[in-house]
Amino acid sequence: MYYKFSSFTQNLTGAVAAAAYNPQGLKPLVSTELPSSIFGTPTKVASESPAAVSYWGKNKVPELQKLFQKSDGVLVHLKQGVPDKLLYRTTMALALGGSIYCLIALYMASQPKNRK
Amino acid sequence: MTHQTHLFHMVNPSPWPIMGAMAAMMLTVGLVLWFHCNLNLILLLGLTSTLLIMFQWWRDIVRESTYLGHHTPPVQKGLRYGMILFITSEVFFFLGFFWAFYHSSLAPTPELGGQWPPTGITTLDPFEVPLLNTAVLLASGVTVTWAHHSLMEANRASAIHALILTIILGLYFTALQAMEYYEAPFTIADSSYGSTFFVATGFHGLHVIIGSTFLMTCLYRQTMHHFTSNHHFGFEAAAWYWHFVDVVWLFLYISIYWWGS
Repeated sequence: MYYKFSSFTQNLTGAVAAAAYNPQGLKPLVSTELPSSIFGTPTKVASESPAAVSYWGKNKVPELQKLFQKSDGVLVHLKQGVPDKLLYRTTMALALGGSIYCLIALYMASQPKNRK
Repeated sequence: MTHQTHLFHMVNPSPWPIMGAMAAMMLTVGLVLWFHCNLNLILLLGLTSTLLIMFQWWRDIVRESTYLGHHTPPVQKGLRYGMILFITSEVFFFLGFFWAFYHSSLAPTPELGGQWPPTGITTLDPFEVPLLNTAVLLASGVTVTWAHHSLMEANRASAIHALILTIILGLYFTALQAMEYYEAPFTIADSSYGSTFFVATGFHGLHVIIGSTFLMTCLYRQTMHHFTSNHHFGFEAAAWYWHFVDVVWLFLYISIYWWGS
């Protein structure tokens, strides 16, 4: 019987072997390949079982984890560099510009005589 | 090098909250200018900013959790409380519209002909498209639960298939409702029948669209390997929200479509 820590009940619950041997959060970033078997015929490694076969793209999470965890002092909303900066600046420009336009429009709308 | 010695999440300074507030001002002022001065620009700017800010804020949350590991068990517990409380607030939101419906329909005024449905209103047959809609949403509740169990059993293909099915069912519901709205023999202006019908079902439809978008985000994250078999709170939150949307529909169907016809 294997056990895992359940994030829902905040206690130990039953688990399958796969969860016990590959606990979430402790998976090594570098893939750990078993040394080749002395019998020559390749054995089925857990990481090659159907559940881990790449459906719809390969797992880029480990590389992204390394990228975002770089200690360069950059805040999370700008961590990916240029695309983040562009999107942030566009959004800020729209928000600031729009807010100022709001205040001007409200000022004009509060002066009925001027609008004639 | 400083490391935290506790399990909580001290968030990086972020521009999104203040910019979200600015976007909210643009939405409200934009609505006023659209209603009274026939000006669309600020409203459109507000909608665009809101979407951009929501995208970036939630993108940052994914970064903080999946890439930076900040969502420890106590953090996740707080997120669970937050989602439950938010859904509870939405329940109260809908309660208001159900109150309005029962207020108008339990004691119909003479102006309505003293009856419900009011004189002159041809209601929709509850056993046609509305019943199909009920079946569609109930089925989507089954598929989202299937997706969850597949996710917990690390069955990647099944989880993706079930999520896709759930989203298709959600979009099918939206399409059917849109068609019903177009073909309906009454409008929002047709007495309190029209207003209670379209405001209640309209807000519900909006929530279906929001829920479908949330599920589509989960599908994207699942294909990108973000979820693990025991840590996938984003998906659970989406599933809770989807079940809430389903339950609201059941109340709408029983009250407005069936009892109210």
